[in-house]
Amino acid sequence: MAKVSVLNVAVLENPSPFHSPFRFEISFECNEALADDLEWKIIYVGSAESEEFDQILDSVLVGPVPAGRHMFIFQADAPNPSLIPETDAVGVTVVLITCTYHGQEFIRVGYYVNNEYPNPELRENPPLKPDFSQLQRNILASNPRVTRFHINWDNMDRLEAIENQDPTLGCGLPFSCAPIKGLGLPGCIPGLLPENSMDCI
Amino acid sequence: MKLLKPTWVNHNGKPIFSVDIHPDGTKFATGGQGQDSGKVVIWNMSPVLQEDDEKDENIPKMLCQMDNHLACVNCVRWSNSGMYLASGGDDKLIMVWKRATYIGPSTVFGSSGKLANVEQWRCVSILRSHSGDVMDVAWSPHDAWLASCSVDNTVVIWNAVKFPEILATLRGHSGLVKGLTWDPVGKYIASQADDRSLKVWRTLDWQLETSITKPFDECGGTTHVLRLSWSPDGHYLVSAHAMNNSGPTAQIIEREGWKTNMDFVGHRKAVTVVKFNPKIFKKKQKNGSSAKPSCPYCCCAVGSKDRSLSVWLTCLKRPLVVIHELFDKSIMDISWTLNGLGILVCSMDGSVAFLDFSQDELGDPLSEEEKSRIHQSTYGKSLAIMTEAQLSTAVIENPEMLKYQRRQQQQQLDQKSASSRETSSAASVAGVVNGESLEDIRKNLLKKQVETRTADGRRRITPLCIAQLDTGDFSTAFFNSIPLSGSLAGTMLSSHSNPQLLPLDSSTPNSFGASKPSTEPVATTGARPAGDTVSKDSVNATSTPAASSPSVLTTPSKIEPMKAFDSRFTERSKATPGAPALTSVTPTAMERDVHRQVVVVKEESLHSILAGSDMTVSQILLTQHGIPVMNLSDGKAYCFNPSLSTWNLVSDKQDSLAQCADFRSSLPPQDAMLCSGPLAIVQGRASTSGRQAARLFSVPHVVQQETTLAYLENQVAAALTLQSSHEYRHWLLLYARYLVNEGFEYRLREICKDLLGPVHYSTGSQWESTVVGLRKRELLKELLPVIGQNLRFQRLFTECQEQLDILRDK
Repeated sequence: MAKVSVLNVAVLENPSPFHSPFRFEISFECNEALADDLEWKIIYVGSAESEEFDQILDSVLVGPVPAGRHMFIFQADAPNPSLIPETDAVGVTVVLITCTYHGQEFIRVGYYVNNEYPNPELRENPPLKPDFSQLQRNILASNPRVTRFHINWDNMDRLEAIENQDPTLGCGLPFSCAPIKGLGLPGCIPGLLPENSMDCI
Repeated sequence: MKLLKPTWVNHNGKPIFSVDIHPDGTKFATGGQGQDSGKVVIWNMSPVLQEDDEKDENIPKMLCQMDNHLACVNCVRWSNSGMYLASGGDDKLIMVWKRATYIGPSTVFGSSGKLANVEQWRCVSILRSHSGDVMDVAWSPHDAWLASCSVDNTVVIWNAVKFPEILATLRGHSGLVKGLTWDPVGKYIASQADDRSLKVWRTLDWQLETSITKPFDECGGTTHVLRLSWSPDGHYLVSAHAMNNSGPTAQIIEREGWKTNMDFVGHRKAVTVVKFNPKIFKKKQKNGSSAKPSCPYCCCAVGSKDRSLSVWLTCLKRPLVVIHELFDKSIMDISWTLNGLGILVCSMDGSVAFLDFSQDELGDPLSEEEKSRIHQSTYGKSLAIMTEAQLSTAVIENPEMLKYQRRQQQQQLDQKSASSRETSSAASVAGVVNGESLEDIRKNLLKKQVETRTADGRRRITPLCIAQLDTGDFSTAFFNSIPLSGSLAGTMLSSHSNPQLLPLDSSTPNSFGASKPSTEPVATTGARPAGDTVSKDSVNATSTPAASSPSVLTTPSKIEPMKAFDSRFTERSKATPGAPALTSVTPTAMERDVHRQVVVVKEESLHSILAGSDMTVSQILLTQHGIPVMNLSDGKAYCFNPSLSTWNLVSDKQDSLAQCADFRSSLPPQDAMLCSGPLAIVQGRASTSGRQAARLFSVPHVVQQETTLAYLENQVAAALTLQSSHEYRHWLLLYARYLVNEGFEYRLREICKDLLGPVHYSTGSQWESTVVGLRKRELLKELLPVIGQNLRFQRLFTECQEQLDILRDK
């Protein structure tokens, strides 16, 4: 069962000029104190064509995390315009907020972002080379796309260390982690067992 | 009678396996399938009962949705008090839920329908023990036990007061156990399984009372569930799927003698669920009729795989009503409202139906007092009216015990009133915390937010805690998360602050002096690295099967930019590894041969020990009583026991026992955990103890208990070897308290016997009246109030007290 769940992400200062920093206020809940920090990243997708145009705007560690509900503000600088393909600069793209624990990504929040010229003249006749200083960024905050993944929350290293130290410990305390069927691969559907359809009319 | 099928109660078309109405009648829970997981949903009852409420858009229909189960949920059951909800699923887990309160936004973030959770339900306990799908759960009449049955052929009885403790595992079935029901008097629990038997178990000793097989001879395992039911007056137990002359029936079993003479006949396919109306009825008194005392009767609903529902009264030979083809698929569960006039039925086709009866149709329900009176007159004591959780002798035989018990209860009452006072004052705070509203907090957040840099230069933010995890309390705290100071430097303490242990650096004249230089050669004689030589399979950085992604991204048509991005939302970045296949770790056991050279404590000289080929002696200390203690580099500490002339291990930093011991509940509230003394110093701040305790919920409780016991016993023995009386007393009391809490009578008796010694003079007795300078009998006197807190030990308490009195009078 996930120890951390995201309660809300508020997009601050939106819409805003292209060059202004991204500011998200993230509230999350943690069921029990975490041994290590959470790592949050903001990724700007430069172009839908390939991931090589992704820019990790910032990556931050959040911690220590005791049990309870917490909030923090994640601020990251605007993306580097020179890394964005010209054809994709104006229009719709995506910004992602991901969080990983022990290097495993367990949540991904995505927003559509619309970059366009507020100036009607420029909108009608857009310059060939996008003028980022004139571009306005509008994040579709009302429609976050959230995907959760099952991960292993326990501290496997320490558990293994214990196993090694005292192999004579009784019945070999089964340090199996929570029975994660399906191992969090999206698309894997545990539980749709044929026995449920034992009943047939 | 009215029938309603509310279409808004659904799991998006997926089957609903269980339904249960809350005891207060305001809500009900359904359990079934969800998206990639099991789903438990709590619904509002009033839109089902009143049409106006259903039409009113302001009245929420769905109260809360929980997707925590990893697989389909088979059963949801409210506790009799209504405080908890238990859910059992195909993921072998039982989750116990409690209502949580929180001030703030309560929407389920990111859900497609913008679902708002009107209520918050939090999982307070996950019960792991079954090795197969959990098919049914049932709360005992007084909510002290929770029973669960599973396809692993067992029934597990959980201690509902102290989750996740297991009281008993009932083994006896040789097939999948698919249904459970408690006797309303509390004397039995019945279970039905695919092995064509219905077994009744005694709650007194959790042994089998009887196994009934005759009515099930011709049965096959054709149903998903076999939910049986016991009548509220305790007289009848009705099974699910039974066969009589090749016709499916529901067998009626009488309590006296477990006779199987009657059954409910009529359904065309196997009976899946039987549920008795919680009320006992008596015939409606017509005005003017003679006051003929009518026999009370019960009402029972039967649901079947033939998709029809029948409702019976035990005073009639024919059913009250039969509804055919109520659903498209088999009926899975039935739940009565507590007032006895409504039924909710759910089916595998994913819908529910609600039947509303009137008193004219069913009869006059008896009140609870009348029901208890029936129980009393028929059965004597009934669990349903008993309030004590302890079922062993409830009679207190000793006035002293009574005094301790009363004191304990008073303490609990005080605590409760103190906390309730807090909550009532805090309850008035709604959205305003510490004088600031959440809005102001947000505005100031960036200023207040604590940011630091880690060692490798990365930005690190300390999140602001806006609420503590709460289940029912309103205590909200508003503070910057305090960094966990787990790693107190506990290994070596400087000598200056502590007169108790003298490091041997100072040239104090003692028996160690001369041998100091000889400790050097200990250091490096071995080549083996002191570390874990664990060879484990490397965590495969398996990225998620992103096979689908390239095809989507290759044609990023500008016309549909949204589609192109969809995969970015749902796939993990390739860099992060997927959940590693739980690695098969092959730990190489560390064989440490401890070669010891025996030390003889002579007047002046001392030969140090050679401990292992790779350890270095990091420090040598001397206690007040002249006991030498060696701290080694691998975290172990040995002390010399002069009487045995051996080195005893007193502390091991990596002792898994210490880490797994869970005796927190035995700590007295007043005493600080820190008991100063040489043992505590040597072991360092025992911050590691109990740390792993919380992680061991996958371990059977018995193992947890044993490790804790072993750890505590070690501590007592270590304190003894170090001759530290203060700590010996501390650990002994702690150990005794743990024994009392967990109910280990034998060991407790041993301790008491040892402390008491012979009451009458006898030659040849080897008992010493003192241990490490403390008088044993004084220790026993201190122990008595601790023992007095557990009613189970009142015999022991009485015995010890009498003996002490005899001694005192002598």
